[in-house]
Amino acid sequence: MNHPLEEILRNILVEREKPAFCIAGTHYSYAELGACIANIQQQIQSKGLEGNCNIGILTYDDLQTYASVFAILFSGHTFVPINPLHPKSRNESILEQAEIRVLLSSKMEEEADAFSSTSTMVIKTNLPADTSSVPAFIEQEPDRNAYILFTSGSTGVPKGVPLTIENLESFLSAFFDLGFDIESGDRFIQMFDMTFDLSIMSYMAPLCIGACVYTVPFEGIKYMQVYQLMEEHEITFALLVPSIITHLRPYFGEIHLEKMKYSLFCGEALYEDVTLEWAKCIPNAELLNVYGPTEATIFCTTYPINREGGNKSLNGILCIGQEMNHMKAEIFNDEGKPADAMEKGELCLHGRQVTPGYWKNEQKNKEAFFIYRSKRYYRTGDLCFADKDGDISYSGRIDFQVKIQGFRVELGEIEMHAREFVKTHAVVAIAKQNEATVWQIYLFIENYSENTSALMQHLKDTIPGYMLPAKIIGTGVFPLNSNGKTDRKVLMQQAGL
Amino acid sequence: MDKNEILNQLTIIFKKIFENDAVILQMDTTANDVDGWDSLTHTSMIVEVEKHFNVKFKLKEVLSFKNVGDMVNMIHSKLHSV
Repeated sequence: MNHPLEEILRNILVEREKPAFCIAGTHYSYAELGACIANIQQQIQSKGLEGNCNIGILTYDDLQTYASVFAILFSGHTFVPINPLHPKSRNESILEQAEIRVLLSSKMEEEADAFSSTSTMVIKTNLPADTSSVPAFIEQEPDRNAYILFTSGSTGVPKGVPLTIENLESFLSAFFDLGFDIESGDRFIQMFDMTFDLSIMSYMAPLCIGACVYTVPFEGIKYMQVYQLMEEHEITFALLVPSIITHLRPYFGEIHLEKMKYSLFCGEALYEDVTLEWAKCIPNAELLNVYGPTEATIFCTTYPINREGGNKSLNGILCIGQEMNHMKAEIFNDEGKPADAMEKGELCLHGRQVTPGYWKNEQKNKEAFFIYRSKRYYRTGDLCFADKDGDISYSGRIDFQVKIQGFRVELGEIEMHAREFVKTHAVVAIAKQNEATVWQIYLFIENYSENTSALMQHLKDTIPGYMLPAKIIGTGVFPLNSNGKTDRKVLMQQAGL
Repeated sequence: MDKNEILNQLTIIFKKIFENDAVILQMDTTANDVDGWDSLTHTSMIVEVEKHFNVKFKLKEVLSFKNVGDMVNMIHSKLHSV
């Protein structure tokens, strides 16, 4: 697929009667999507914006929000999704950093008004659309920013990651190059917050082939909503975060989704044991583990999982596989040289999906990007190694690798041994320097109220003394950050550490 | 155990799980009415309720809970079917 955005336009113009979205139980055709896009484009045009602008979208679970994405892209602008449920100060920081003058909102209540100011105009997008109007489409310059996502920065100020039209179209092309057997009759689930880039695959890939997107409602219990949607609408393609199946695990015996064709996981470490159990619930599906940072557009490595077992894994965590088309993953060792097979180092990415750099953040760009043999690489901060076949295993964040008494300690190894003992409970090991700047390890066990001394004994039997946790803490359910990943900072705070 | 007593005992569990002593449960209380009732606390709450009443819910049963009353009725029928 050379120009995926043009394919989406084609489907809007040609596949008029086919369903494009199913939102809160209502189906919307490609023609309705197109009319909604055209309507929003007219309103953007009436504001007389010059050249390429960053336009904000307040994200809701409705057709207008999705149509806003394409109204902005097709008009030659850049979209910046903003979740009205996120803290106001964070959203204000994004509006200011991205110099957003125009904000689209399908709801005009207090939330939108709160963002309306002298510098930001709010355009209401839920006006009745003329169903015969079709979207305008200007030629998509490859270097223009398609979207900017803001991720949490270590300093506490969100940092912007712009991705260009070329980045986005390269991802979508490489996605289809993976050779999925999918067509316009397929049904995709979209479970992600629209400020998280996995949402973009979840709604753009189906629209490229004329398929239908089923969105998970914001309200209610997420993993229950995901399951219910997959069952009720016989979803055929699902990109999920691993925590969804962790929550569903007690009910696997009752789950049987025959129509599922592809089950992809991304965003967190994926454990082989729970994945193989899940495979039994989806007897006709292929399973893939995919990996990638926002900085390299959605995801860029894939590993096909063998449902019978015998997969490549490290500490129980499935391998992340190999690069997609037009991408190169290289592991650099401590000396800054490409690592040998099996040698650990930092995973660095080069290729068409890599962002041109953080939004107005020269300091961060100097740290995160470098040139090696005239190729530009992004440092992922992920500690990895590749085997002789080129399959990459994820070994944890570089930050999670600590030196204790001179020994290099990987927290994932401690977690793996703890999991041997506590079985289905999730575990997280966190290292922190105490007042005397000595590194100490804290081990958290989810939903665990039992005495921890037997677990400590098991660890003493399996790992060297310097790796033993200073404390084992049984907690309730782990707190998650806005991307659905375990929030280590909050875990430590809750434990008063 | 009658339904009122089940509701009273659920209230104690909810106060603990949601770390809020002000929780007041009625038969028509939903997730929207209780601060902090989300995916994470939901799992903890179900685990705690199952343990407390020594019952086991099926996925279809958990999905059918539209309010606290549905859960009370389900617990009641499970306790009295033994």
